[in-house]
Amino acid sequence: MNPPKTGHEVLQAILTKAYRQKENVEVGDQWQQGVMRRVRELGAIQPTPSFAEMLEQLVWRLAPVTCLLILGLTVLFAVSDFTSGYEVFQLFMNGTEELTFALFAGL
Amino acid sequence: MDNDVSTPGDVEIVRQVVAGDVNAFEHLLEKYQNHVLRILKKRLPYDQIEETAQDVFIRAYQSLPTFRGESGFKQWLSTIAVRTCYDFWRKHYKSRELPVSSLTERHQAWLEGAIADQSSQSFYEKGLQKEAREILDWALNRLSAEERMVLELVYLEGYSVKEAADLLGWSIANVKVRSFRSRKKLHKLLTQAMPR
Repeated sequence: MNPPKTGHEVLQAILTKAYRQKENVEVGDQWQQGVMRRVRELGAIQPTPSFAEMLEQLVWRLAPVTCLLILGLTVLFAVSDFTSGYEVFQLFMNGTEELTFALFAGL
Repeated sequence: MDNDVSTPGDVEIVRQVVAGDVNAFEHLLEKYQNHVLRILKKRLPYDQIEETAQDVFIRAYQSLPTFRGESGFKQWLSTIAVRTCYDFWRKHYKSRELPVSSLTERHQAWLEGAIADQSSQSFYEKGLQKEAREILDWALNRLSAEERMVLELVYLEGYSVKEAADLLGWSIANVKVRSFRSRKKLHKLLTQAMPR
C-alpha cells in the first residue's frame, strides 16, 4: 500500500494534471498558408559560409585597397629623388668603421 | 523527451530548403505543426498560440543552415519552440502590470480542499479542473520568466534537469538552482494565498 501523500504532493499532482490537460489547439489551412507566405517573403536562405569561404571573401574585399596602395607607393617612389638615399646607403656600406670611429671621437 | 534521430526524409528536405527550394519547407511545416502546437498550448495563453507558432517556424526556417542533424529535427524544433516561449514571457513580463489582487474566496476554498484531500484523483473527479488551471496561472504569473520556464519543464512536465537545460540552452547548475527556487516560491505563494 502506498503511504498517504502530503497536502503539497496532492496539490502538485492536481496542478500537474491541470497543466497537461489544456484543450487541443488546431490551426487551419490559412495559418499554414500564412507561414509559407512569410517564408516566401524572406526568400531563399543564405547558407552560413565556412571559414575558408569567409577568408576568400575578405581577401577579395581587400584586393582593391591593396592594388590602390601598391599603385600609390609606385607613384611615390617614381617621383621622389633616389640619389640622396642611395648616397647615404653607400656611405654606410663602404665606411661603417670610419663613420663609427669618427662619430665616437666627436670628429 | 523525444530523442529521435533525424529521419533521412527530414535531412533531405532541410538540404533542399537550404539549397534554395523554399517550397520544400511546407513538408516540414505540415509534419511538425501539431508537435509545435502541443508544446505551445501548455505554455502560452490561447490567443497567442497561432502567432507564436508562426514565429517558431520562421525562426526554424532562418536557422536551418545551423541544423546539423545530430539530435533529430523534431528535437531541434522543440528547442526552438521552448526558447520562443521563453522569449514570449520575457517580453510579456517586461510590459505587464502585476495585479495586486489575491485569489478569490472560491479559489482559496479550492486550495484548502486540495491540500486537505488525501487523493488527487478523488479531488480531481469533482470537476474542479478549471479552478486548478486558474490557480496555476495565477501563481505562474507571479514568477519571473526564467522561474516559470523551469517550473513548467521540470515540476509540471517531468523533464530531467539535463533535458530542461538542453531545451533552454542553460547550464545544468543554473536549471537546478532555478528549479529549487521556483518550486519553493510556488509553494510559498500557494500557502500564503490560503485563508488563515
